[in-house]
Amino acid sequence: MTAVINENPIIQVNNLKFFYPGDARALHGIDLSFPEKNVTALIGPSGCGKSTLLRCLNRMNDLIDGCRVEGEITLEGENIYGKNTDIIELRRRVGMVFQKSNPFPKSIYENVIYGLRIAGEKDKKLFDERVEKSLKAAALWDEVKDRLQESALGLSGGQMQRLCIARAIAVNPKVILMDEPCSALDPKSTARVEETIKDLRDDFTIIIVTHNMQQAARVSDHTAFLFEGNLIEYGLTDQLFVKPQVKQTEDYITGRFG
Amino acid sequence: MSTTTKNMNKYWRIGEPMVWLSGASLAITLLTAIILLAVIMINGLGVFWPAELQRLELQDGNQVIGRLIKSEPTADGSALRRQYKIANRDLYGLDFRWIDEDQIVSQEVPRNLLVLERIEHGDFYGELKSLNLNGTTRTASLPDLTKALIEVETEIRGLRELEGKLKDASYLMEQLRLKKLKFDYKGVPANDPKQVALSQEKAILDEEFGHLIDIQTRQNARAREDTAMFTDASGREKEIVLADIFQVYAPNSMGLGDKIAFYSAKLLELFVGQPRESNTEGGLFPAIFGTVMLIFVMSLFSFPLGVIAAIYLREYAKEGIVVRIVRIAVNNLAGIPSIVYGIFGLGFFVYGIGHSIDSFFFPERLPTPTFGTGGLLWASLTLALLTVPVVIVSTEEALGAIPREMREGSYALGSTKFQTLVRILLPMASPGIMTGLILAMARAAGEVAPLMITGVVKLAPALPIDGNFPFFHLDRKFMHLGFHIYDIGFQSPNVEAAKPMVFVTTLLLVLIVLLMSSVAIRLRNKMKKRYTFGTF
Amino acid sequence: MNPAFLKKVKRNDRIARWVITVGGMAIIFSVIFILILIAEVSLPLFLSPDKDLHASFQLEGRAAEEKILAMGVDEYLETGYRLDQAGRVNFFNIADGSAIDSLQLVSDTGSRRLITAQTYGRLNHMLVWDDGSVTIERVKFFPFFDEADDNQRSIRHELEHRAIFAPPSYGLPVKTMARVNDEGRQVRVDLFRSGIFQITIIEEEESLFGAGERVQESHQLEIDSVGEVTAMTLSTDGIKLYLGTSKGEILRWDLSEIDHPVLEETTQAFLDQREITALNMVFGDVSLIVGDQQGGVSTWFPVRDADVGWKLTQIHQLHGHAHAVQDVQPSPHDKSVLSIAADGINVSHMTSERFLVNIANGAEKIEAFAQSTRGNGIITLSDHGTVQSWKLDIPHPEVSLKTLFGKVWYEGYPEPTWAWQSSAGTDDYEPKLSLTPLIFGTLKGTFYAMLFAVPLAIFGAIYTSQFARPKFKGIIKPAVEVMAAIPTVIIGFLAALWLAPLIERSLGSMFLSLILVPAALMLSIALWQGARKLSPLKQVERGYEFLVIAPVIVLAVAIAAILGPGLEDWLFAGDLKQWLFNETGTRYDPRNCIIIAFAMGFAVIPIIFTISEDSLSNVPPSLKAASLALGASRWQTVWRVILPSASPGIFAGTMIGFGRAVGETMIVLMATGNTAIMDLSIFNGMRPLSANIAVEIPEAPVDGSLYRTLFLSAVILFIMTFIVNTVAEIVRQRLRAKYGRF
Repeated sequence: MTAVINENPIIQVNNLKFFYPGDARALHGIDLSFPEKNVTALIGPSGCGKSTLLRCLNRMNDLIDGCRVEGEITLEGENIYGKNTDIIELRRRVGMVFQKSNPFPKSIYENVIYGLRIAGEKDKKLFDERVEKSLKAAALWDEVKDRLQESALGLSGGQMQRLCIARAIAVNPKVILMDEPCSALDPKSTARVEETIKDLRDDFTIIIVTHNMQQAARVSDHTAFLFEGNLIEYGLTDQLFVKPQVKQTEDYITGRFG
Repeated sequence: MSTTTKNMNKYWRIGEPMVWLSGASLAITLLTAIILLAVIMINGLGVFWPAELQRLELQDGNQVIGRLIKSEPTADGSALRRQYKIANRDLYGLDFRWIDEDQIVSQEVPRNLLVLERIEHGDFYGELKSLNLNGTTRTASLPDLTKALIEVETEIRGLRELEGKLKDASYLMEQLRLKKLKFDYKGVPANDPKQVALSQEKAILDEEFGHLIDIQTRQNARAREDTAMFTDASGREKEIVLADIFQVYAPNSMGLGDKIAFYSAKLLELFVGQPRESNTEGGLFPAIFGTVMLIFVMSLFSFPLGVIAAIYLREYAKEGIVVRIVRIAVNNLAGIPSIVYGIFGLGFFVYGIGHSIDSFFFPERLPTPTFGTGGLLWASLTLALLTVPVVIVSTEEALGAIPREMREGSYALGSTKFQTLVRILLPMASPGIMTGLILAMARAAGEVAPLMITGVVKLAPALPIDGNFPFFHLDRKFMHLGFHIYDIGFQSPNVEAAKPMVFVTTLLLVLIVLLMSSVAIRLRNKMKKRYTFGTF
Repeated sequence: MNPAFLKKVKRNDRIARWVITVGGMAIIFSVIFILILIAEVSLPLFLSPDKDLHASFQLEGRAAEEKILAMGVDEYLETGYRLDQAGRVNFFNIADGSAIDSLQLVSDTGSRRLITAQTYGRLNHMLVWDDGSVTIERVKFFPFFDEADDNQRSIRHELEHRAIFAPPSYGLPVKTMARVNDEGRQVRVDLFRSGIFQITIIEEEESLFGAGERVQESHQLEIDSVGEVTAMTLSTDGIKLYLGTSKGEILRWDLSEIDHPVLEETTQAFLDQREITALNMVFGDVSLIVGDQQGGVSTWFPVRDADVGWKLTQIHQLHGHAHAVQDVQPSPHDKSVLSIAADGINVSHMTSERFLVNIANGAEKIEAFAQSTRGNGIITLSDHGTVQSWKLDIPHPEVSLKTLFGKVWYEGYPEPTWAWQSSAGTDDYEPKLSLTPLIFGTLKGTFYAMLFAVPLAIFGAIYTSQFARPKFKGIIKPAVEVMAAIPTVIIGFLAALWLAPLIERSLGSMFLSLILVPAALMLSIALWQGARKLSPLKQVERGYEFLVIAPVIVLAVAIAAILGPGLEDWLFAGDLKQWLFNETGTRYDPRNCIIIAFAMGFAVIPIIFTISEDSLSNVPPSLKAASLALGASRWQTVWRVILPSASPGIFAGTMIGFGRAVGETMIVLMATGNTAIMDLSIFNGMRPLSANIAVEIPEAPVDGSLYRTLFLSAVILFIMTFIVNTVAEIVRQRLRAKYGRF
C-alpha cells in the first residue's frame, strides 16, 4: 500500500527494493515519506525489514558486501542513491543511534566531538559549546558535567546510550535514525531515553525502529507497520494504534503474532 | 568382596587415577621447566662471585691452589671427588682438575692468595712475590701492586686512545683505497686532478699512520717494562707484565660487602665490556648491541609490513575464499622452519639483491662483496620475514576482536574508512599489535639458525654504528647473544673454560626473552578482558 | 562542514585504501613468493643438459695427408689445438678455425714422427714415436693482458715436457701405455706382437746423501688369458693397470712395487665373452670404465668379498651405443664418462648413471675429439676434416632423483647405500648427496620428541583446563606460554653440555626412573585412595592433585638416582653402555635420541599444550554440566564428552608441534652429533635436514650442486611443515567456526 503524508516530508522513499547478497530480497518496494521534525516509528515483527529500511536511509547497508538497492530515496529532494551522492556528507546529515550503545573507548568529551573532529574542526570554544549543548539536549549534562574527561566506558548502560545520542546530535544532523535504542536498557533508563527523544523532536526529524509497541505509541507522531518486507500501514500513531485499517496491523498490535 | 576392594574398583572405574595421572603430566612438564631455569640460574649467577681460593696439600706431596667447582661420587661410587679450577693455563695446560677427596691431606684458605685476570691465558692463581718497577726489584704486597697497576692503567689508556686513532686512520685509508678503486674502474686517468689529489691525501695519511705506529710501538714497549713476580701453588715463579693484568683481587680477604661490590662491577663489565680470550671472558657489549640493533632494524620492517598486511586482510579485503586461503597461508608461514627462512635470506637477499646492489653500486670492489655477503641488513630482513606472520596474526586478531558497532558508530558520524581506522580501530587494537611486536622481538632475540647463514659472526671487527660516515653500516657483520652461546659453547677450543661464560650469556638471554614474552602475554590477557565489555 | 577539508579527507581515504590494498597484497604475496624462490633455486638440479653447436668449420692450413692424433681445447673454449703425426701442435681459434700459432714437438731420440697419441688428465698427451720412444707432454695456457696491445686479453701457449721413455729393446710395441706421477715416478707398459708384455718402472730414489738416484726396473711377463689383449689402461699415478681381452676378460695389476708387479685377478667380466674394446679410468683413478664390442659402457671397481678378497665388480651400467665402443674417456673434472662409437660421443655421469648428451656430426664420422678441462665444451674432428665446437650446459650431472633418494653404489663402498657426504678436500671426490638419511634423521628425531611431548602436553592440558583450580589455571597457562618463548639455542646448549653428560653418567638411573616414576605414581594414587576416606583430605585434593603428586615424582627420581649405580653394578657389571655394546652391538653415542627426545620434546610441549588447552577450554560448559548432571564422573565426562569435541584442536596442536619439531634446527644441531646414519636405535644420533642445512650451507659454493641440494632439502622441509600446518590450520578454522571463538 502507499501512504503519503503531505506534511512537509524531509525524506521520501519511492519503490525501495533491497537485496541482501545472494539476491535475498528484504524489501519489496516501499513507498514512504517521513515528515520533518517529527518522530516516526517503524514497527513490525523480527525480520520484517524495518532495520534494513532504516539502514538504507543513511546508506549504512553499503558496508555489507554484495547487497543491492533499487528504487529511490530523496533527502530534502535529493536522491541519496544518486551517482553524485557523497556518503560522508549524507551520514553527517542523517545521524544514527544503534541498538547496542557503542561509545568509543575515549573520554566522554572526545566521544561527543568525534564527529566534529573528523570533519576537521579544531575550534576549542566550539567544542566546549557543542559538548554542553548536545549533552544537555540528550539530558546527560547534569550527570556527567564534572567528569567529561573520564572514559565513556565507565557510564551506565542508559547513560552510554544517551551519550551516543549526544554524539549524533553534536554534528547537527537533519535526521536521527534510532535502531531499537532501548532494547538493551532497563525500564528506568528506557524512560530517560524516551524523554530525551521527545525533547529532541522540536529540532530533529527522528526515525525510530522499535520492537516495543508501547514505546512507539509513547514517543512517535507517526507509525509505519512493516511485515515481510512490505509496508502494511502508515499513519498517525494515534490512529494506527486505535483504529488500524488493515487486519494484519490489528493482529500485530493486539499481540496475535510477532 | 570387601567394601574397600569394591571402593577401589569403583575408584579405578570412574577414572579417578587418570585425573591423577594427568596431574602428574602437568607436574612433570612444570618440573622440567623449573629444572631448566634452575640449572641456568645456578650456573649463571655464580660465575662472577669471588669464591674463596683453597690451598690443598695432596698425599703425593703436591700443592694445589684452586677454586672448588663441584664434588660428585667417583666412577665406582665409593668415594667423592672434587673438581677444582686451578687456572694458570700457561703453566699447567689445563684449567680444571679432578681430585679424589681421599687424596687431600690438608686444606686451608690463606688470605694472601691472589686471582689475576689476565689479557691472555685466562686467570692466574698464586701469591705475589715482588714487583719490578722502572728496573728495580723489590718485595711488595697487594696495595703496592694495585698502585702500580693504576699507574700502568693510565699508560694503557693512552695506548687505547692511540689504538682508536689508528683504527680511524686505517678506516680512512680503506675509504681512500675504495675511492681509488672506483676511479680506476671508471677509467679516470692517473694524471687527472682527482687522482692526484687522492694520492696526495693517501701520502699524508700513510705518513700519519706510520707516525702513529711508531708512537704505539714505543709506548707499548714502555708499558711492558714493568712486571711483577708471582709464585704458584708449588712455588714455581712466574713473571707477568703488569700491562697484561686486567684485574687483581684477593678473594679470601674480601668481606661480604667487598664481594658484592666486586660482583656488581663484574656485572657492569658484562654489559659494557668487550669480549676477551675468544669470547670466553670479558663483556658481552658487542653481542648485546648487535642483538638490539638486529631487533630494532627487524622491527622497522616487520612492524609496518605486518600491520599493513593485517589491516588489508581484516578491513579492506573482501571476505571470501581467497582471503581464507591467504589467512591459512599466513598462519602457516608462522610454522615454517626458521632455517628455511634463513636459506631464503641467503638465496634471495644475500646472493640475489646483495649481488645486484654490488654490481650496480660497487662494481669496482668486486669480487670483494659489500652487500653480497651476510650482514646486519640481510639478517634483519630475514628475521622480519620470519616474524611478519606473528605480527599479522596478532594484529588481525586484535582488529577482529573489536566489535562491529565501533566501526558502524564511526561511519554513522560521517567518517571515512581511513579515519575510522586511524582514530578508532588502531588505538583499540594497539595492545594486540604490541603483543605481536613484542613476541616477534622475543623470537628475534632467541633465533639463531637463520642468522648463522645470513651474517652473524663470532667476533665482529666493528659495531654496525660508529662515528664514520654514514654512521649506520648495515652491511657489516654483527654479533648476537644467541649465536654467542652456540659459538662459545660448541666452537671454542676449551669448552670447559668457556662454560661459565656460556651460562652467563644464557642467563641474560633467558631473562630478556622471558621478560619480553611475559609482558606480551600480560598485555594480551588484559586486552582479552577489556573487550568483553561490549557484551554486557 | 568545510568542503576543502572533506575533499582532503576523502583523498586521504582513497590514498590509504590504495596503499593498504597494494601494500597488503604485495606483502602477502611476497611472503608466499618465498617458496617459489627456494624451489626455483633447487630446480636446475633437474634440468636436462643442453648442447649447443657453437661453431663448425673446416680446418685452415691443414696438411691433408697428416693424420691428426689428438686434440685439445682451453678451459675458456677460445683456443683449440691439434696434434698431427709430424709432431706439430697447431693452435686455432675455436670460433672460426683460423690458425693462431704452431709448436713443433721432437722426441729425445730425434724421431719426428708419431705413431699414436693418447690424451689423459688435464691436457696431458702420451706420445709414442715411430722409434718406440715415448714422451709425455702437457699443453699449458696462460691468459694475460697484453700491455703493448691496448690491454687485450691474449693467451700464451706452452708445452711442458713431463717424461721420456727410451725405445724398448724388443722393437715396436703393438700397444703402449705410459704415465708419470707428481713425484716423477714413471711407468711404461708395452705389449709386443710376439705376445711379450713388458712393464718398466722408473723411480727416483733418495740416496743417503739426499741426491736423487734413478732406478729402473723392467719386467717381461706372459699374459695368461684366453683372448688376446684388446684394451689397456693405466691410472694417472701409474699404479693400477687394467687389461681387457677379446674374450671379455679383465686383468687387474698392481704396479706399486717397483720390483714386483702383481697380477691381482683375472675376471671374466662378460659371460658372453664379448670383446672389451676400450678401457679407461674415471677421474679419481678408482673406477674403471669398460667399453665393449656390443656398445655397452660400464664402470667397475674392486669390491671386498669375504671369500675371494677384492673382486672387480660391475657397479654402474651407463647409456650404451648401438655400435662397438671405440674409445672411452673420463671427464677431467668430475665423474662423467665419454664414450665414442660410430653413432657419436655419449656423455654420461657415473654416479647418477644419467645419460647427458650425445654429440654426432651427421653422417660424418668423428675421428678425434677433445673436452675442455671444465667439462663445458667438446670439440670434434670428423673424417671430412670438419671441426665442430660444442658448448655443453650440464648443470648438475651427478644429481638425479635416484642419487637424491635411492640407494647408490659409491666408489669404495662395499654395497649400494644411502649416504650423505657432501665433500672432501679433493676435486676427484664423488659427492654423496642422498637426502634419504637426512629425512630419516628428521623423522627419527621428531618421532622420539613427539613420543615424549605428546602425552605430557595433552594430559597436562586436560588437567589444566578441566581439573585445576581457576587460580592455578591463570598461572599455569601464561607460564607454559612463556616456556614456549625460551630460545631453542638455550635448550640445545643445555641438552648438549648439561643433560648429555648427566645422562651418559647415569644411564642406569635414567632407565630405573622410567620404571620407578610410574610405579611410585600408581602406588601413591592407591595409597591416597586409602587415606582420603580417613580425613577431610577429600575436600582439599580437588584441583590440587598436581601439587600433591609433584613431590612423589621428585622422590622417585631421587631414589632412582641413588639406586641407579648400584643396580648397574649388579645387573650390567658396572657399565650399562659397555653391556649394551657387548650384548646388542649398539654403540652408545653421548648425543643421542634420548637427549633429543627430552630437549625437542621440551621445545614442543608448550605449543601442543597451549593449542590443546585452548580447544579444551572452548568446549561449551553446558556440555560438561549436562554430562556431570547425568552422574558421570569428572574423568568420564572429560573422556567421553569433552575430549571428542576438543579432539580437532588437540589434533591441530599435535600437528603444529610436529611441524615445529621437524624444522627445529639449533637443538638438533647442538645435541645430535650430526652423523648421517640410518639407525633407529635410541642410543644413536642422527643428522636431520635442518641441521644439515645449517652445517653445510656456509661451505657450499653458490649455485653448485650442494647449494642447490640444500635448497631442495629446504623445499622438502617447507613442504613437510606446510602440509601438517595447513591440515592443522583448516581443522582449527573449522573448530573456530563451530564454537565462534579462537
